[in-house]
Amino acid sequence: MTGHSRSHPPRSGVKAGSPRALRIALPIVATLSIVAPLAWLWQASRVPAVYSVMDMGYLDYGVGAMADPVGWHGSHMEGHMPGQPMAPPWLVTDMVADPARPADVRVDLATRQQVLSIGGRSIAGFTVNGTSPGPEIQAKQGQLVEVHLRNESIADEVTLHWHGLDVSNAMDGVAGVTQDAVPVGGEFTYRFVANQAGTYWYHSHQVSNPQVAGGLLGSLVVTPKSGIAQQVDVSAIAHTYGGLRTVNGNAEDFQVPARPGQQVRVRVTNTDNGPMKIWTTGPYRLLAVDGTDLHQPSEITGRSVTLTAGGRADLEVKVPIDGTAVRIQLSKATAVVIGLPGVDAPVPAQPAAELDLLSYGTPAPLGFDPTHPTRRFDYRIGRRPGFVKGLPGMWWSINGRLFPHVPMYVVREGDVVVMHIENHSGEVHPMHLHGHHELVLARDGVAATGSPWWVDSLNVLPKESYDIAFVANNPGIWMDHCHNLKHAAQGMIAHLMYQGFDTPYRIAGPADNQPE
Amino acid sequence: MRTAYKVLAYLVAAEVAVQAMVMVWAIAGLGKWVDGGGVFDKAVIESQGTPFPEVAGILVHGINGAFVVPALALLLLIVSFFTKVGGAIKWAVVVFVLVVVQGQLGFLGHDFPLAGALHGLNALALFGAAIHTGRRLRAAAAVAVEQPEARTATPV
Repeated sequence: MTGHSRSHPPRSGVKAGSPRALRIALPIVATLSIVAPLAWLWQASRVPAVYSVMDMGYLDYGVGAMADPVGWHGSHMEGHMPGQPMAPPWLVTDMVADPARPADVRVDLATRQQVLSIGGRSIAGFTVNGTSPGPEIQAKQGQLVEVHLRNESIADEVTLHWHGLDVSNAMDGVAGVTQDAVPVGGEFTYRFVANQAGTYWYHSHQVSNPQVAGGLLGSLVVTPKSGIAQQVDVSAIAHTYGGLRTVNGNAEDFQVPARPGQQVRVRVTNTDNGPMKIWTTGPYRLLAVDGTDLHQPSEITGRSVTLTAGGRADLEVKVPIDGTAVRIQLSKATAVVIGLPGVDAPVPAQPAAELDLLSYGTPAPLGFDPTHPTRRFDYRIGRRPGFVKGLPGMWWSINGRLFPHVPMYVVREGDVVVMHIENHSGEVHPMHLHGHHELVLARDGVAATGSPWWVDSLNVLPKESYDIAFVANNPGIWMDHCHNLKHAAQGMIAHLMYQGFDTPYRIAGPADNQPE
Repeated sequence: MRTAYKVLAYLVAAEVAVQAMVMVWAIAGLGKWVDGGGVFDKAVIESQGTPFPEVAGILVHGINGAFVVPALALLLLIVSFFTKVGGAIKWAVVVFVLVVVQGQLGFLGHDFPLAGALHGLNALALFGAAIHTGRRLRAAAAVAVEQPEARTATPV
């Protein structure tokens, strides 16, 4: 009610402040008070048709003794600090392996859009050299690997990212950040030194959500110069094609022939978007996580290992001398069966208990001191209503902000960085930092006491927090994102940049770069 | 505007019914699939494919719950400002608040499964409120036609 009496004579016009005017104005004002903020949020969430990741979000210099911002930092829309000394920017393209050094390993990879035939089903997907997964790339530690990529028929264009291998920035394979996506008929040559021995994988980082799901991926194994202790060494790529679970591209169990008494190294790669539990019929040891050996890993029985999306786990099992086989379950759905040909093993019950890497193995020298970091960052994951790229929804937030208004973490070469990751989003996130390996210091405030636990893909459950540390020793601009690639496509992408770096590449634009 | 109001209120109620139906449809399909040896885990949930046809129910539930129902409730609220029927705004607000609570309980269920039980209970409250909102406007409109003087606009 307006409070005015109804004794006024009828009138034809509408005067401001009159009951009738208010009766017309109030609903309109009320509507605007709802619509206007929504329109503003929608407008603020839109991204330009072409943009540089350097212009995304705000600069986060972290907290620490050396946190004073110094140097050139691109043309950020937010957090710009004028009056800083200008230095000539270095480009991500400058960061390459020694161009004069000849390659030790040469691989030609051709990518195609194809219909895959798996388990009696036809599934639209992608191949590398005609298969999915593509061929395994093998190198010895220290070798220079040269991969010549040719995109034969993938209309959405393609790149190759060397997941877990800390390559030079120009070779990281992120469309729109370290290179332009390769169009049909286009080529790109990757050159990198395989300095780390371990299990890695490659996959497209152009339109990566559908392309990785469609099978544009393969294994990359770097063996130590001294070789490995096990007599049998196999890779097992777990991948789900259109809801169909596979190992190395087959819906059936992966049979590995091995003689009784032999020790077998199984390199498991989880290429899916969700975490996977691994367990076995008998005892096993977890030799390595994300390509890094664990120190003095003990024998495990009655416990499963959680392998996060994008992560790798190297297991060692011994074929029993009584002639039976070993079965390694990669979730309930698929398995690796190791033993004499034709010998199967019963499906072991899934253990209720899980291996805790926080206390597995024994401590060893770290090679750096994480107790005195020069920078501390927060990476708080949340979920809230809002708009991303103009679309309403419940979106993932990073430090309370939605894409593209997310942090650009800024470091200087040589920094010892500690990052605090928290997950308040209600869903698990496999957090993946490119170009670096991170040491897990603590989970939920409980310090790690076992072997140094280095990761490039970290399973962060809801309500969990992690403190991780890394040395900023690989200059460039690196993605720091969720490897549930659906989530990445929904904007769960931040970047780590070294001060003074810039990229000549653009997201979208003429090259149509879409890294997610 | 009154017709729009009524239609929107009933649409919210219909959507709640659809939400309940597609969820049970999906769970029934899941049970059948698991019975046949299928494994449902995060990798399958997050994969692009359809392991069993009824998995579409989960997708529909998500899209309806995250976009369609909130949009309907918001439109109902906006339309209520223009109906000039006593209590129309109040009941649109009730429906809107219940929709917001419903969404929050749904997402909270990822973290605290018990919130999922409340999500189911709140669905009944929302269904009842939406039906009542549509029905009472019809009654109010009938009164308004008989007594035009009684028409009031309740400020927000």
